[in-house]
Amino acid sequence: MFLTAVLGLPAGLAPVTESGYAKMVAGHKGKVVLVNFWATYCVPCRKEMPALVQMQERLKAKGLVLITVSADEPEDEAKAIEFLNKTRVPEPRYLRKAANEDAFINAVEPKWSGALPASILYDKTGRKVRFFVGEVDLKVLEAAILKLF
Amino acid sequence: MNTLTRRNACALLSLGALAASQPAALNLSDLSGKRHTFPVAGKTTVVVFYSTICPISNEYNERIARFHREYSLKGVQVLVANANQNEPKDQIEKHTRDAEFEFPVFIDSANAVADRLKASVTPEAFVLDSKGVVRYHGPIDDARNIARIKAHLLRDAVDAVLAGKPVARPEAKAFGCTIKRVRKT
Repeated sequence: MFLTAVLGLPAGLAPVTESGYAKMVAGHKGKVVLVNFWATYCVPCRKEMPALVQMQERLKAKGLVLITVSADEPEDEAKAIEFLNKTRVPEPRYLRKAANEDAFINAVEPKWSGALPASILYDKTGRKVRFFVGEVDLKVLEAAILKLF
Repeated sequence: MNTLTRRNACALLSLGALAASQPAALNLSDLSGKRHTFPVAGKTTVVVFYSTICPISNEYNERIARFHREYSLKGVQVLVANANQNEPKDQIEKHTRDAEFEFPVFIDSANAVADRLKASVTPEAFVLDSKGVVRYHGPIDDARNIARIKAHLLRDAVDAVLAGKPVARPEAKAFGCTIKRVRKT
């Protein structure tokens, strides 16, 4: 809580549902958007997060927005916030709130099995450009992002 | 066609495509290294991919064990398989003891079976009918937290297959850990 206040980070995660996902992405039109799905129980997710934050820091002036969506259960939200704060992950930060997990995953990306981590890259118009499952190759990701500015 | 109908149609198409090219054999090794060939002719077969280190998969250990116990008694061939290349045999043996699995687990070396079935997460289950046709692909149920389960997807699928009925929901997805595959050049 103290760290949250010091860093000026919000205490909770915004919920995102299957029907709200598209709206969430569309809310950042004009920016290149990278949505990263992660969870506290996912070791590769935790491992790649600091590098994604660094990339966001480096490229935010060009117009990159990193959106994180935690796939944690509601009872693990506090753990998710603790990790995000410790890793200095900026807003916007979401917690998936799926009435139906299958429908949520399909709404995000029909080709996605639900395996974590997963990252989706959108161009400035909100069009889906790339979909990555597993720990992302940062060089490949950054090259793909740079093409979109 | 509404979204749900379209999705079901897509699921049926993908399962149909898989069934059409179904291989004669799924080869798995037991922990002694002995190779086994499945499915056994005439038997309904369930393949459950699991992990020793994936927290979600581990939350399902008891559910997997219960399913194995109950459905083996119904004549179903239940195969609990590990396709992760980063989980060595001694780790799998230890996990089998720690999880109190009272059944043999199998190793999908080089993830050939996972590739064939297009498995990508743990835990993930496949139901093959007695002709080897994939009739269900997806999670064991629809909630990690037992208190929130609304649909026993795997059980419902196997029950339908055993009863000679269509599987109401032949495909579903859930969050899980990636299967760590062998690198192929």
